[in-house]
Amino acid sequence: MSNLVKYRIAKSSALKIFTIFLAFVCVVPLIFILLYIIRAGITKINWHFLVNIPKPVGESGGGIANALLGSMIIIGVAALIAIPVGILGGIYLNENKKSRLAYWSRLCVDILQGVPSIVIGIVAYFWLVKPLGGFSALSGSVALAIMMLPIIIRSTEETLKLLPDSLKEAAFALGMPFHRVILKVIVPCGISGILSGVILSVARIAGETAPLLFTAFGNPYISTNITKPMQSLPLLIYNYATSPYNDWLDLAWGASLILLLWVLLLNIITKLTTRRWKVQL
Amino acid sequence: MESTIIRSKNFNAYFGENHVVKNVNIEIPKNHVIAVMGPSGCGKTTYLRCINRMHELIPGATCNGEMVLNDEDVYSMHPIFVRLKIGMVFQRPNPFPNLSIYDNVIAGYKLNGIKLPKGERDKVVEQSLSRAALWKEVKDSLHKKGTFLSGGQQQRLCIARAIAMEPEVLLLDEPTSALDPISTSSVEDLLHELKTNYTLIIVTHNMQQAARVSDRTAFFYMGELVEYDDTKKMFTNPRDNRTQNYITGRFS
Amino acid sequence: MTQLETELGFLKNEVINMWNLVRSQLIKARTSLMSYDKDLAREVILKERRVNGYELKIDRDCENIFALLTPVAIDLRFVLAVLKINSNLERIGDIAEGIAKYIISAEQPFKPELLDATKLTEMYEESINILEDTLTAFENEDTILARGVFKKDEFLDEINIAANNLIEEYLKQNPKDIDQALYVLSIIRKLERVGDQSKNISEEIIFYLEAKVLKHKHSH
Repeated sequence: MSNLVKYRIAKSSALKIFTIFLAFVCVVPLIFILLYIIRAGITKINWHFLVNIPKPVGESGGGIANALLGSMIIIGVAALIAIPVGILGGIYLNENKKSRLAYWSRLCVDILQGVPSIVIGIVAYFWLVKPLGGFSALSGSVALAIMMLPIIIRSTEETLKLLPDSLKEAAFALGMPFHRVILKVIVPCGISGILSGVILSVARIAGETAPLLFTAFGNPYISTNITKPMQSLPLLIYNYATSPYNDWLDLAWGASLILLLWVLLLNIITKLTTRRWKVQL
Repeated sequence: MESTIIRSKNFNAYFGENHVVKNVNIEIPKNHVIAVMGPSGCGKTTYLRCINRMHELIPGATCNGEMVLNDEDVYSMHPIFVRLKIGMVFQRPNPFPNLSIYDNVIAGYKLNGIKLPKGERDKVVEQSLSRAALWKEVKDSLHKKGTFLSGGQQQRLCIARAIAMEPEVLLLDEPTSALDPISTSSVEDLLHELKTNYTLIIVTHNMQQAARVSDRTAFFYMGELVEYDDTKKMFTNPRDNRTQNYITGRFS
Repeated sequence: MTQLETELGFLKNEVINMWNLVRSQLIKARTSLMSYDKDLAREVILKERRVNGYELKIDRDCENIFALLTPVAIDLRFVLAVLKINSNLERIGDIAEGIAKYIISAEQPFKPELLDATKLTEMYEESINILEDTLTAFENEDTILARGVFKKDEFLDEINIAANNLIEEYLKQNPKDIDQALYVLSIIRKLERVGDQSKNISEEIIFYLEAKVLKHKHSH
């Protein structure tokens, strides 16, 4: 074997080792974060923690029930707003690939995806909180819905793009009107991709703090009125982690772990739905 | 004796500025198999898709001229109604992947929101699958997904799906080009059976197939209908030199 | 059943019909020869048109099968064989017509002694036999029977060769019958051709069934 070939082989294996090393480097911070949060939070979590509201300063114990419920309501309302708009928008973009409106709206969606969450929070503050005269969970939901939209729209569009045109033609050739073709054929066939987009977008906004600071604001008590301020997990973590009290710090750790598990769970569900609902083309 | 079911007169089709079907005049008799052949890009598929108004679904596609189904102008009927009367089978088998074999056959009813009583449904499914020569092969797995079938079976499923709607005409756009030879011949044999109940128009770039399956053949070249005659006549003694060159493979 | 199989089935039937017609032509020609029945002879001449009609139809069917159904392997050999058998049968039809024409031209009935002495009766029997053998071989795809035809053809050849001497001897005894004797000699020559055509047909049958070319080979 000539030296040149040996040199090449050496170079090749060097690159291989280097990429493996880098891949490892990527994973290490994640593992550290996970371990750290689990170690700090695991001892705080118990049934009591989940079903009680925070105690005032000085009293030990207390839980995050208000934040847990609040998060669910805020995210639920946000999803209610974003899912229909997002899916229909995605369908429009896929159906009218070449129209001028589609081009611009695609561009807008991409820009929206890049808008910092705090900016969206401020916008929601000026659009909703000020005119309505006070902080409210609804305004937080709107801000989060705006953040969900680009993810749902793009994932819907990408999913539908992968469906062969022949499927649509088959439906049209059977004399189906357009709305039935979309609702009965296109959406059911792309359902796994659309669902996973939705779940991912929920996972993405579950931890958003910035837009909620100016909108949902936070609430130390359990509230189910979406026109009033409401607590949520990220807000609770933000507020209590920066406080000087140990009890509150513990609460923040516990809440962090809950939030982390939530996001993890959503990601796993996404993987499962994709597999379970996947339509074999 | 034989009645005309589809007649086009001075029919033209365009993609934007592109004139792809030029002044086609053709009369298609009932209960016959008509083959439409020609080199790629000759307008044969476009012409076929004009018959059931699938052409206009493509952005920028237009057409003019007369296209008559049973003395009624196709272009003054509602497109959905036209497509119920003129079924279509495509190049690649395209059963709905989210539906079972059973549901695929009655997809035209089910997805259009037409409710059939259970007994009626079973009858339509069995009859359509039998006509498509698929019943024996799938009768024990009707509730499996249609995409589990082989390519040839899938194509026959698509034919069953189209004939379940009881169309008068069945358009087939290169129905065997994605199939292996055995599946191809099973689909070809089927066409012969089907012509007792339907009129079949089959586009093919395989002239042997045109020769085998059809009663009449139309030859398209550069958007024009060059020759339209009995298949026997066409393949033994074509009138036009271009036809002769095409079927003998001397095309330059 | 594929379309090709159906078409080949039709073609086979058509050929068998033609075969039967040719056979009945040959038999009628014989009957008219034996009984000096000029009407029957005229019928044979008239029916020759139908034989020709079959020939054209089978030619056209073969052409269509080639053009439309592209037969291969045994199917291809079958159609090729039919094409040639078709023209062989047509020639046998012509022979029957030729014999019938002699009977119309003949001025008096053929003498049975002449027919026996020249072995014509025997030869006629054998040539009808040989034609029937080829038909059965074709119908039943029987190559053994087809091979048997070669032997029988040799027998016809022998009679044909012997015919000159036999006629000569007969004429020595019955010099007045020279006219009749010449007709008989012509008929013998024609029947020998029936043997040859049948032999060709047998070769085609073997070619189509076994893909063996026996033509122009001296030992079978």
